[in-house]
Amino acid sequence: MELDQALQTFIVESRELLEAMEESLLGLESSPDDHDAINAIFRAAHTIKGSGGLFGLDGIVAFTHVVENVLDRVRSGEVPINGDLIALLLSCRDYIGMLVDQIAADSAAQPDKETEATGIMLLNQLRTYQAGEKKQSPISATAQSQPRMAVVPPPDGTVESDHWHISLRFGHDVLRNGMDPLAFIRYLDNMGKIIHVVTLPDAMPLAPDMDPESCYLGFEIDFHGDGVDKTTIEGVFEFVRDDCTLRILPPHSRIEEYTRLINELPEDKIHLGELLVNSGSLTRKELDEALHLQQILRAEYSQEAAPKLGDILVEQRVVQPELVDAALGKQKLAKENKAQESKLIRIQADKLDQLINLVGEMVIAGAATSLLAQRTCDPALHEATSTLSRLVEEIRDSALQLRMVQIGETFNRFNRVVRDVSKDLGKDIGLSICGAETELDKSVVEKIGDPLMHLVRNSMDHGIEKAEVRRQRGKPAKGTVHLNAYHESGSIVVEVGDDGGGLNREKIFAKALEKGLITASQNLSDVEVYGLIFEAWFSTAEQVTNLSGRGVGMDVVRRNIEALRGTVEIDSREGIGTTVKIRLPLTLAIIDGFLMGVGSASYVVPLDMVMECIELDEAERRESRESNYINLRGTVLPFIRLRDHFRERSKVSRRENIVVVQYAGQKAGLVVDELMGEFQTVIKPLGKLFGNLKGISGSTILGSGEVALILDVPALIQRAASRDAQLLACSQAEQIVA
Amino acid sequence: MAKTVMIVDDSASLRQVVGIALRGAGYEVIEGCDGKDALSKLNGQKVHLVISDVNMPNMDGITFVKNLKQIPAYKFTPVIMLTTESQEGKKQEGQAAGARAWVVKPFQPAQMLAAVSKLVMP
Amino acid sequence: MTISIEASNGVCHARVTGEMTIYHAAEMKGELLPCLDSSTEVEIDLSEVSEIDTAGFQLLLLAKREAVSAGKLLRLVAHSPATLEVLDLLNMAAYFGDPVMMPRASRQM
Repeated sequence: MELDQALQTFIVESRELLEAMEESLLGLESSPDDHDAINAIFRAAHTIKGSGGLFGLDGIVAFTHVVENVLDRVRSGEVPINGDLIALLLSCRDYIGMLVDQIAADSAAQPDKETEATGIMLLNQLRTYQAGEKKQSPISATAQSQPRMAVVPPPDGTVESDHWHISLRFGHDVLRNGMDPLAFIRYLDNMGKIIHVVTLPDAMPLAPDMDPESCYLGFEIDFHGDGVDKTTIEGVFEFVRDDCTLRILPPHSRIEEYTRLINELPEDKIHLGELLVNSGSLTRKELDEALHLQQILRAEYSQEAAPKLGDILVEQRVVQPELVDAALGKQKLAKENKAQESKLIRIQADKLDQLINLVGEMVIAGAATSLLAQRTCDPALHEATSTLSRLVEEIRDSALQLRMVQIGETFNRFNRVVRDVSKDLGKDIGLSICGAETELDKSVVEKIGDPLMHLVRNSMDHGIEKAEVRRQRGKPAKGTVHLNAYHESGSIVVEVGDDGGGLNREKIFAKALEKGLITASQNLSDVEVYGLIFEAWFSTAEQVTNLSGRGVGMDVVRRNIEALRGTVEIDSREGIGTTVKIRLPLTLAIIDGFLMGVGSASYVVPLDMVMECIELDEAERRESRESNYINLRGTVLPFIRLRDHFRERSKVSRRENIVVVQYAGQKAGLVVDELMGEFQTVIKPLGKLFGNLKGISGSTILGSGEVALILDVPALIQRAASRDAQLLACSQAEQIVA
Repeated sequence: MAKTVMIVDDSASLRQVVGIALRGAGYEVIEGCDGKDALSKLNGQKVHLVISDVNMPNMDGITFVKNLKQIPAYKFTPVIMLTTESQEGKKQEGQAAGARAWVVKPFQPAQMLAAVSKLVMP
Repeated sequence: MTISIEASNGVCHARVTGEMTIYHAAEMKGELLPCLDSSTEVEIDLSEVSEIDTAGFQLLLLAKREAVSAGKLLRLVAHSPATLEVLDLLNMAAYFGDPVMMPRASRQM
C-alpha cells in the first residue's frame, strides 16, 4: 500500500538525517559557534518531527518536539552549547534512531519498558535546557493569535435565533494575497450549513476608481453547525485574519452584541438592521431594541476605532535587519553544500559490479580485436581499432570512477568513536582528519573500516598517555589521533597516527627475543622491529584494558590489509608518537599494467609502480649473474631474475632488460627478457589453489587468449631487499671473520 | 475540473503522505523537492495552491515564494507555508515574500487537507 | 480568458471564455465596462466560463450596479456551472434578477 511505501521513505530519510545530525553535533565540539551545524541539527530534528507527525508516530513527535525546542533555544543563543549538551543531544539522537528502528521493524510497535525509561530520562535531562516551554501540544493545529473579538457586555436579554452570525469584511489586499473569500465561505458551507448569506458590495467605489484586483466585498452570514464552536469558525478564517475583520456572534447572543455589531460595521445602520431581520438573525422587535440601545451607546463607541485590518501585524516581533542578513549569508553557504549532495544518485552496488565486469570483458575483447587488426595490413582497420581501444580505456576509467568514493565518510565515523572511547578511557583526545576527499574503490572502503577501527582504538588506548604523563613530558594535555589519506604511485595511503608515547623499541625487541622469534645478534631496522607487533603472538601492553591489548588483533589488521593486496608499516618515535601507514591498491578490478615476457610466459606489473626500464649490456649481464644487485647510477639496486624465480626452463634469450619497480619507497629490479609495453589489465583472482603463491597477486587474460600472471610487486621487492640484506650481513660477517 | 496543488518539501515521505491525502480528496498534486526544483517543474501550468516548507536545501521556501510571485502566472497563487511554532521571524519574511497561510509542523494529513480546502475546494 | 464582443441592434453581446479570475480582472474590467458606455443593453454570456473567483464575481456586481445607475440593462445569460455555483453560494441570483437554472436544491431560507 502507498502509505507503507511512504513510511519506508520516512525511515530511510530519518536515518540519513540522524547521520547528518550526529556529524554536525560532533563538529560542534570543536567549533561550538558553527551556525550551519546548529541549523543542520535543528533541521534534522525538525524534519523528523514534521514527517513523523504525518504518520501519527506520536512517540517520535513528542520526543523530537522537546529536542527541537531545546535546539531552537540553542539556535537563538538562549542556551549555550557545551560538552554536556552535545553529549545529551547525541544520546537523544541515538534514542530517536532507536525509535525509528523499532518502527522499521514493526510500524505498530510500542516502545518497550526499557526504551520508554530511556526516553523519560532523556526528557528529564532536556527539561533543564527547556525553560519557558509553551503549553502547546506538539500536534496542535495552527490557530494562534485570535482575531479580534468584541468585548462582552453585561448580561441582558438574548435573541431568539439559534444561528451563528458571522460578519465578514475583507480588506482590499485579500485577493492580491492569493486568498479568495469565496473559498472560505465554501469551506464554511461544507462544515455545517449556511442558512443565509448577504453579499454587501456597498464599499465598492464607482467604476473609474474601482481597482479590479482589490476586494470590496463584505458578507453577513447566518450559519448553523452541529458541534461547531467559535474557535472552529475562527479557524476557517485563520489564513485571512490579517486581511479581514471578523465578527462572530454565537447563537442566542445578547441584543446589545448585535447593537455593537451594527455600530461597528461601516454600512448604513438602518440598512444593516433590516438585513439582520431579513436574514433571520433578529426579529423586528429585537432590532428596535438594538437600535434604541445604539443611541445610548453611540457616544461611548464613536471614539473607539473599529478593529483595523492587520492589527495582528503589530504584535509580531521585529527582527533587526543585520541579523537577518547574517543569517541568510550563513544559510546560503549551507545550501551550497547541500546542493552538492543532492546531485548524487543511488545505484545498487551489484549493478555497478556488473558494469565493471562487463567493461573488463570488453577490455579483453578489445585487446583481441587489436591483435587481430595488427595482423592484417588494413590501415583503416588499424585506425578503427585504435579509436576503439582509446574509447574502451575511457569507458574503463569512467566505470571505475563510478566506484570511487571519498574516504571522508569512513573517517567521519571515527569522530564518534574517538569521542566515546576517550570518555570511557578518561583521556582527553581529539581527532584530526586530513585528505578526507581522497578517493578509493568502494570495495576497499568497505573492508578498511575494521582495521582502521582497531588501529584508532589502539592509538587511544595504548598510544596516548594519561594527561599527567603528557604534562610531565611537556606535551599538551589533550592528545590527538590523526587520520590521513593521500595517493601515492597507484596506491592510496591511509595513516592512523597519534601523538602518544610511541613504541618502545627495546621492549618489543626483548619480547621478540623471549618468544624466540629473533636472535640477539640479529641486526634489525626500526621499521622491522616495529613490524614485529603485527605478529600474532604479540602484546606489550602492561595493562590490558577492556578495549584491546596492544598487538592482540594487530595480526588480524595485517591479514585484512594483505587480503586487499595492501601492506602495512609502522613508524614510531618514542615519546613523540606512532603512525601506522596502510598502503592499498586504488582499485581491485582493472589496472594499467606493464607487460613483460620471460621465455614463453608473460607477466604484468602495475604501470604506476614501474620507474624505468634499462637494457642490460653484456658486461652487466655477466656481473648480474654473480651478484643479486647492480649498480644503478651509483646506488645499489637489488633485483630478482624472474627466469630463476619462476624456474623458467626455456632457452635464455639473447637480450635481457631490467624493469625498476618501486613500492612504499623501496626499489627493486626485475630482470626479464622482453618488454612488451602497456597493457590494460583486468585482474582475475587466482583460484584457491594458487592463493598462497608468493610473488603473484592475480592473473589476467591477454588479447591472444593466453594467461599472464600479475606480479605482487611489494612481495618481490621485500624478497629482493631481504635477500640483499642477508647477503650484506653475510659479507660483513665474513669481513669480521677475516 | 480538478484543482492542482503543488507541494514543495525536501522530505520525500512528507510529500508522499500529503500527496496521498490530497489526491484522495480529488486534487491533482505536483511535487517539488526544493524551491529550485519546484520552479523548474511549474512550466507555466495552472497551479491553484502551493504548499512550501521554509527550510530547504538549494532554495529555501522564502526565496522560492518570492520567485514564484515574480512570475505573472502565479502572482496571485495562494501559498501555505510549513513552519514550526518557533519560526516567528521566518513568518514575517514569508509574509513579505507573499505567503499568507501557515501550517505548523508536525501536522496530520487531515489538518493539511483542511487547510488546503479552506483556500481551494477540490 | 478571452472576451468576444458583438454589437447588434444596440445590444452588446459579450461572451467570456475561460477563467474569470483575478489574473484577468484588469483585462475584463477594461473590456466589459466600455460595453455599457456604448450600448443601452448588455448581455454577458457566461456559458464558457470555466472558473470564477471573487474578483471575477465582483466585476459582474460592478457592471450590474453601473448599469442600474445609468438606467441601462445588464443580463447574465447561459450561466456555466462554475458561475451558477457562486451565484448560489453568495445568494446573489436575485440581485442580478436573471432567470437561472439552479443546479442543486435551493436553500432553506
